Amino acid sequence: MSDLDDFKATYFDECSELMNELEEQFAAIESGERDADRLNAVFRAIHSIKGGAGAFGFSGLVGFAHAYETLLDYVRDGRVEMTDDVVTLCIRANDIVADFINAAQTGEELAADYGAEEKQRFDAIARGQRGDEDEWSGEIIEEFDIEFTPVRVELAVESEPEVVVEAVAESEADTFDAPPMPAEPGHWEVRFTPFRQLYSRANDPLLLFRELGALGEINVKAILSEVPPLSDFEPFGVYCSWEISLFAPDLTEAAIREVFEFVDGDCRIEVVPLGQAAAPAAKPAAAPKPVAAAPVAPAKAENLLALTEDEVVDAPAKPATAPVVEEEAGLSFADLASEIVAAAPPKIVAAPTPKPAAPKPASAEGGEEGGNRSVGVQSIRVDLDKVDRVVNMVSELVITQSMLTQQMDENLRARYTELVRGLEVLAQTTRGLQDSVMAIRAQPVKSVFSRMPRLVRELATKTGKKIKLETIGENTEIDKTVIEQLSDPLTHMIRNSADHGIEDPEKRKSRGKSEIGTIRLSAEQAGGNILIIVEDDGNGINRERVLQLARDKGLVAPDITPTDEQIDQLIFAPGFSTAEAVSDISGRGVGMDVVLSNIKKIGGSVHVRSWTGKGSRVTLRLPLTLAVLDVMLVKVGESPYVVPLSSIVETMQCSGATFERVPSGGQVLQVRGEYVQVIDVAQRFNMHSTKAADERFVVLCESEGSQKVALVVDDIIGQQQVVIKSLEENFEQVEGIAGGTILGDGNVALIVDVQGLRTTMIHQNAA
Amino acid sequence: MEALSLREENGDKSGVVGANTLQLIAFSIGEQTYGVEITTVREIRAWNGATPLPNTREFVRGVINLRGTIVPIFDLRARFGDGQTSPTKNHVVVVMSVGDKWVGILVDAVSDILTVNREEIHNVPEGNAIDTELLNGIVTHESRMVGLIDLHAVVTGAKLDG
Repeated sequence: MSDLDDFKATYFDECSELMNELEEQFAAIESGERDADRLNAVFRAIHSIKGGAGAFGFSGLVGFAHAYETLLDYVRDGRVEMTDDVVTLCIRANDIVADFINAAQTGEELAADYGAEEKQRFDAIARGQRGDEDEWSGEIIEEFDIEFTPVRVELAVESEPEVVVEAVAESEADTFDAPPMPAEPGHWEVRFTPFRQLYSRANDPLLLFRELGALGEINVKAILSEVPPLSDFEPFGVYCSWEISLFAPDLTEAAIREVFEFVDGDCRIEVVPLGQAAAPAAKPAAAPKPVAAAPVAPAKAENLLALTEDEVVDAPAKPATAPVVEEEAGLSFADLASEIVAAAPPKIVAAPTPKPAAPKPASAEGGEEGGNRSVGVQSIRVDLDKVDRVVNMVSELVITQSMLTQQMDENLRARYTELVRGLEVLAQTTRGLQDSVMAIRAQPVKSVFSRMPRLVRELATKTGKKIKLETIGENTEIDKTVIEQLSDPLTHMIRNSADHGIEDPEKRKSRGKSEIGTIRLSAEQAGGNILIIVEDDGNGINRERVLQLARDKGLVAPDITPTDEQIDQLIFAPGFSTAEAVSDISGRGVGMDVVLSNIKKIGGSVHVRSWTGKGSRVTLRLPLTLAVLDVMLVKVGESPYVVPLSSIVETMQCSGATFERVPSGGQVLQVRGEYVQVIDVAQRFNMHSTKAADERFVVLCESEGSQKVALVVDDIIGQQQVVIKSLEENFEQVEGIAGGTILGDGNVALIVDVQGLRTTMIHQNAA
Repeated sequence: MEALSLREENGDKSGVVGANTLQLIAFSIGEQTYGVEITTVREIRAWNGATPLPNTREFVRGVINLRGTIVPIFDLRARFGDGQTSPTKNHVVVVMSVGDKWVGILVDAVSDILTVNREEIHNVPEGNAIDTELLNGIVTHESRMVGLIDLHAVVTGAKLDG
């Protein structure tokens, strides 16, 4: 059954993508872009979700999605107008679909009538528009109720022929040559040959036939001639194809093909108006069992086709080959085969598929490649672990390369010019390799941003506030791991904004603001970092209360008066919460703490700014990639430390720097008129500095919020790239240390957590 | 006491009383012998320095690179409160797994592999808090006392404020 589980996993992956797509489409629809393309996209998404759900027997989801789809269908053909009410209902419906999917995935049970209310509203809207075409919606839904639930579709994946035998027991025949229906307009013959991936994508031919059935009168025949004897039967093999004769007076070929739109590329479809039908050449499915690997045997032609296609991978003519052959009725198979032989003679000799059961994968590939819609859009699903392995190896390669380069001293350079050149090329190539690999992992933040509108809607309902979410820059790309870590912090921040930031509508009005509060979520790239900003136009941080609470909780000593900025940062202190009443939205005092720790874990930092009565802004600064870091290697005592290059502003010798004493006994550094806090790293880390004060160095760093801090270190060794290694993997987080890394000589160097050093300083002063 | 009855010959894996016996790696710190269950030991390597870790207690000697991962090294002598070891190339790091983490223990030397009977393991006598905290039990082997190290206890409380 593990194969089925695989299919399920794929289905759920697709569902989450489709839900994101829905969210995106509705964001546009909500803002007024109600064109047909968007509606079609929505319809397709819901339809795909429904189709898969049917295949796995998630009847609740199927039922709901079906009702939803019916409504969408009506909207699509103009019978129902897309009013704001309908949009709101649809958005609500999306949430319900998401819940159904989630329940199906986790195996949770939803209430039996979950979504029933909305379903009724769909029906009501649909029925309201039905007018004289009365059977339409009513009948379909009814029919559906009876038929969908008991479908044993899981079986269909494995034992397709069984179902078929049931369906058309009487038609054993390969009756291709004699069209069964008289040739008159409105009669169509549809030949449907599914490929293996059609099933693996959780499609069910039965559903397709039903849809065809909705177009007109159908007569379905299964072509069973390819079904092998039981001894050769492969459980997941696909042996069956169908011939459907369809009678519908004014139907276009396009309308018939549309039914198969979702399985495009996963099957071969021939639609032939009866009368001009069916030259014998177009029927590979009905061909006799292949004998040997004789290149001209008709049954093989399909294989050959696939092979030749493989051979001419980038030839633009490729997509044309397959479909044309299928539809050009007059062309004889022998002609075709010889043509193919001419095109790719060497491969045919080596044709590796002598068994009758084998052709499927090959032809499946051909079908996928030949699908005219997939031109240009070629992507594959790869297990993230595999990508990670490559990323790790590339990272090590980069390090090794930079180590090698360092080994080249002047002497060697002069002697081995070729080697030097080689190393330079290597450096370039590894850089390129690294960038490409990182690009594989990069994903637009959209995938996490798109979950937020729903959250905001729910928060708005719960709090009774009016909240609008704006998102900007959702195409900004970040490393996938960073994105995964982003979901929780964003959720907390948005909750916080909705709960504490945005005021009640009345209060907003009395302050002369719009009743609708705005939360703006934006992403942008700034140098080697990504900035994620959550802004709201609410109340801002209530500094008096924050300070009072912090004093009560002993986070700030009574005799200390922190600056506004320091007070704002206090909301990130563990165990801190300002909500007067603990609500189920936020206020357990864990939220912002979680934000800080999550972001720190991925090497980012958090900064908050607030304007009383006007709003607040939380900025997350995240690294572009987690794998490789540009650093400056320094020495403190005898130990190597690295400081992320992205945070360094400048370095200078202590002898040239101007230190001033401040009353607390500490030191500040004067740089171009600015006074900067000084942290002696050796002293901080309890290490013995071996150097005279004047021979040491200052590394001027910028931490969050443009706050500068001067680190005093014993020596500066140089710049290099390092791979970040976790300390927590085998130990625990250490204050002032953001992680470790392994140097070219195999020793471990620790990464200085600049922001952490600075905040602990504030806390120590405050305590 | 039938303490000597189950001595393991080198290479003898017959393990007649499997379930009831325990194989230990024995190592020494000064005159004392300690042991850990052999299945927890991942690797034994010579001391080759470590990068000191700030803001940790004195028994954390720092971190080393073990084939690409960072592994902390605990000085067992310092953990027992006897002051830091002054390690030489002859000192030994025993790398073990504790839960899902790998840690290294710095000891003077690894002496032997012992097979002992579970029934012969005695409780640690009350009295010294450090002993009861860090040892799981005591077993006698060839009239030497072997303390069974409680690894979880050894690695906790490593941070300065923790």
